[in-house]
Amino acid sequence: MSSFIANLILATVRMASPLIFLALAELYEERAGLVNIGIEGIAAIGSLVGFMISLISGRPGLGVLAGAGVGILVNMIYAYATISLCAEQIVYGMAINIFAPALAAFIYRVYFGSGSELVQANLMITLKQALGIQSDNFFVNLFLDQTPMVYIAFLLVIFTGIFFTKTRAGLNYKAVGEYPKAAATLGINVIGTKYLACVICGALAGMGGAYLTTCYSRTYVDGNIAGRGFIALAAVIFGRWSAPGVLIACLFFGFCDALQIRLQLVNSSLPYQFFQMIPYLATIIVLAAMGIRKAGPKSAGQPYRKEER
Amino acid sequence: MTVERAPAGGEILRMEHITKRFGAVYANKDVNLDVRAGEVHTLLGENGAGKSTLMNVLFGLYQPTSGDIYVHGKKVKIESPAQAVKLGIGMVHQHFMLVEAMTVFENIILGDEHSRGIFIDRNARRKEIQELSEKYGLEADLDMPITELSVGAQQRVEILKALYHGCEILVLDEPTAALTDTEAEGLFEVMDKLKSEGKSIIFISHKMREVLKVSDRVTILRAGQSVETDSIGDVSGEVLANRMIGRELKPSHYEKVQSEKENVAILTGVSYHRSSKHNGLNDVSLRVRRGEIVGIAGVDGNGQSQLAEVLTGNISPEEGSVDLMGSKVVTYDPNGFILKNVAHIPEDRNKAGLIGNMSVEDNLVLKLTKDSRFSDGKGFRLKWKAVHDYALALQKKYDIRCSSVKEEARNLSGGNQQKVILARELEASPDLMVAVHPTRGLDIGAARFIHDSIIAERDRGCGVLLISADFDEILEISDRILVMFEGQIMGEFSGLHPDIQAISVAMAGK
Repeated sequence: MSSFIANLILATVRMASPLIFLALAELYEERAGLVNIGIEGIAAIGSLVGFMISLISGRPGLGVLAGAGVGILVNMIYAYATISLCAEQIVYGMAINIFAPALAAFIYRVYFGSGSELVQANLMITLKQALGIQSDNFFVNLFLDQTPMVYIAFLLVIFTGIFFTKTRAGLNYKAVGEYPKAAATLGINVIGTKYLACVICGALAGMGGAYLTTCYSRTYVDGNIAGRGFIALAAVIFGRWSAPGVLIACLFFGFCDALQIRLQLVNSSLPYQFFQMIPYLATIIVLAAMGIRKAGPKSAGQPYRKEER
Repeated sequence: MTVERAPAGGEILRMEHITKRFGAVYANKDVNLDVRAGEVHTLLGENGAGKSTLMNVLFGLYQPTSGDIYVHGKKVKIESPAQAVKLGIGMVHQHFMLVEAMTVFENIILGDEHSRGIFIDRNARRKEIQELSEKYGLEADLDMPITELSVGAQQRVEILKALYHGCEILVLDEPTAALTDTEAEGLFEVMDKLKSEGKSIIFISHKMREVLKVSDRVTILRAGQSVETDSIGDVSGEVLANRMIGRELKPSHYEKVQSEKENVAILTGVSYHRSSKHNGLNDVSLRVRRGEIVGIAGVDGNGQSQLAEVLTGNISPEEGSVDLMGSKVVTYDPNGFILKNVAHIPEDRNKAGLIGNMSVEDNLVLKLTKDSRFSDGKGFRLKWKAVHDYALALQKKYDIRCSSVKEEARNLSGGNQQKVILARELEASPDLMVAVHPTRGLDIGAARFIHDSIIAERDRGCGVLLISADFDEILEISDRILVMFEGQIMGEFSGLHPDIQAISVAMAGK
C-alpha cells in the first residue's frame, strides 16, 4: 500500500474522531427535540479548558474530563433557556456560539498573557506507545497507534446505536423528540429527558473540543474548532439521525479533512487555501443533496409547554 | 400496577364539583360525573361545553381549580397523565397521541413498565399485545409504521395501547369524528366487547344517533356545567337534544324582516369533498337576498367552514355554481370576491382576520391600499397621514378601544380586534357579508355591538350570511334559519317564530 493512501486512512480516523464526539452530541440533543447549533461554541470552551487542565496537571485525560464538565456547564444556559423558558433554540445556540469562544479567548489571554509564543502541553499517548510496540505495520498503526479518545469515540457510536434501537429507555427518549405530548401521556418525563440530553450533549461536545488540544495539537489557538461544530450538524442530517449513519458521515467528512492536508503536502503549485476548502465544500454538497427530505425528529426545534389550551 | 376490579355495576369513578378556570373564563363550573363499572357513559354537549376540559382534568393534563376526583371510592389527586394511567384511566384523544416515525409495536410499548429490563423483550411484549388484540378483536399489524395506517386503524392502536397500559376506564374523545360509517360500526363492536369485560367507557360525542345507540347513561354538559345524568332507556333523542342546546325561546331584541328584494348570492347544488361528513358540502343550495340575515345553525364541523370559504372565494366548489349579484362566478379567488363587494368576518380572527404584528391602522387600511385616498399610483406610495386620520375616524365610529391606532393589533382584546375587522369590512359598504362566529369569545357588550352593526348593515341593504355554532346568536338576529348537518342543508325555518324543537332535531341530524 502506498504511503499516501496509508497515511490518508490513518489521518481519516484521527480527523473523524472529534467530529464523532460533536455529531453524537448533536444527535442526542436532536433526538430529544432540541436543535443545538451551539456545539461549535461548547467545543471551543471545552478545547481551552481541556488544554489548560492538561497543561497544569500534566495529564491529558484529566483535561478531557474537565472539557466535558465545562461543556455541561455552558450547555445548561441553553438548556434552561430553551427547555424551562421555551426560548427560541436557534437564538440560544447562536448565543452560545458567540459567547463561549469569546470566553475561551479571554481566559487564554488572562492566564497566558498575550505573548506570541504558544504554550505547549503534552498529548495523550497512543496505545502503541503505552504498550511499547515498535512495529510500523499499517494495521498496527491503524488499530493500536490511536489515543484512548479514538476508541472511546467508536465505542460511543456502538453504545448509541444500541441505546436508540434496542433499549426501552432509548425508545422513550426518541418519543420525546418526536411527539413530547404523547410521550408525557405515557408517563415519560419529557422535561427530564430534555435536560439529560443537554447534559450528554454538553459533555460530548466539550470532549470533542478537548480532543483537539489533548490528542491532536499541543497548542490552543483561537478558532481551532474551525467549523467542526457546524460540520457535525451536517453529519447528523447526512447520517439520517442514526448512530451508524452519523459514523459514516463523520468518516466521510474526516476523510475530506485528511485529504486536504495530504494534498497540501504533496502539491505546492496550488495555493493551500483551495485544499482547505474541501471539507466545507463537501458539507455544502452533502447538505444540498440530503437536506431536502426532512426526516429528523418531528418536534425538533419546538418548545414543549405543559398545560396548553 | 394492577387495579382491582370494582363489582359489576358499582361506581368506579366520581368527579365532584369540578371547576376549571382559564383566566376569567370558566371551562368547567361545578361539574359532577359518576361512572359505573362496565357501562358506556356518554358526555354530551355542544362544542365548547367543556367536555374535553373535563376529560383533560381527569387525565391529569389540567389541574382543576377546585373539585375532587374519586377512583374506586378513594380520593385521588391526578397531577400527570402518568398518574392517571397508574389509576387505570386510559384516553384516546381526538388528535391521536401516536408517534408517526415509529411502528405500531413501538407505540404500544412506549413508557411501558411491564418489565424492568434494559433491553426491549420483543417476543414477550408481542405475545402480550397479541393476546389483548385477540381478546378484544382489535386487529393491528404490529410492524406497520403509523403513517401507513388508516384513521380507524390508528384508533385501534390507541385503544390497544390504553388496554396494554392497564386501563379500566377508557375515555374516547369524539372517536367517530374522523371515521367512516363502517369504521364506526367496528368501533361500536369493540366497545361492546370492552363493556362485557367489565371496562367502563366514557364516550364523548355530540352525534345524537350514535349516542342513543351505544350509551347506557348520558351526562349532558352545557356551557361548562353538568345538566343532568340519565339512563338512556328513560329519555328520547329529542329530549336530549333539547337539553343539550337547552333553551327556551327568548324574545329577540331585533325586529325580524322578510326581504323580497333581489338575491345577492345564490348557491346551486354546491358540493365540495362530498364524502367528508365534517369538512365538506353536499349539494348545498341556498340564496341570500338583499336586506336579510340568513343564519346557518348547526353543530360545529358540519361543513359551515367550507360554506364560508366557498362564498369568499377561498376554495372552489367541485360541483354546482355560485351567483353573486346576478352573475355567475367563474374563478374563485378571494380578491375577485372582494372586488364583487363581498365582506368576510372570518371564523378565526387571529389567523385570518388580522395581522397581529401590524398596527391597528395598518390592519384597517389593508384592503384599501390601492385606493387613491390612501396612496398615489395604486399603492406605490402610501399617504400615511390619510391612513392615520382614517384610522382615527374609524376608531371613534366603531368604539375601538386601544391606547393608539399605532398599537399592534394582537395586543387588543378579542372584542376590539373583532371591531377592527368589522370596521374594515363594513366601510366598504358590502353587498354580501359572510360572518362566521362573529361574537365567539366576546363579552356581552361587545357581542351586542357586533349584532347592532350587522342589523344596521342589513337595514342598509346588505345581504348577510351568518354562520354560528351559538344557537342563541342565530335566534337573536336571523331572519331566516337554515340548519346544516354533515354538509347538507337539513331544513329552512323562519326567524320570526322559530320552531326550536324542530331546529334542535334537525341539528342532531334526525
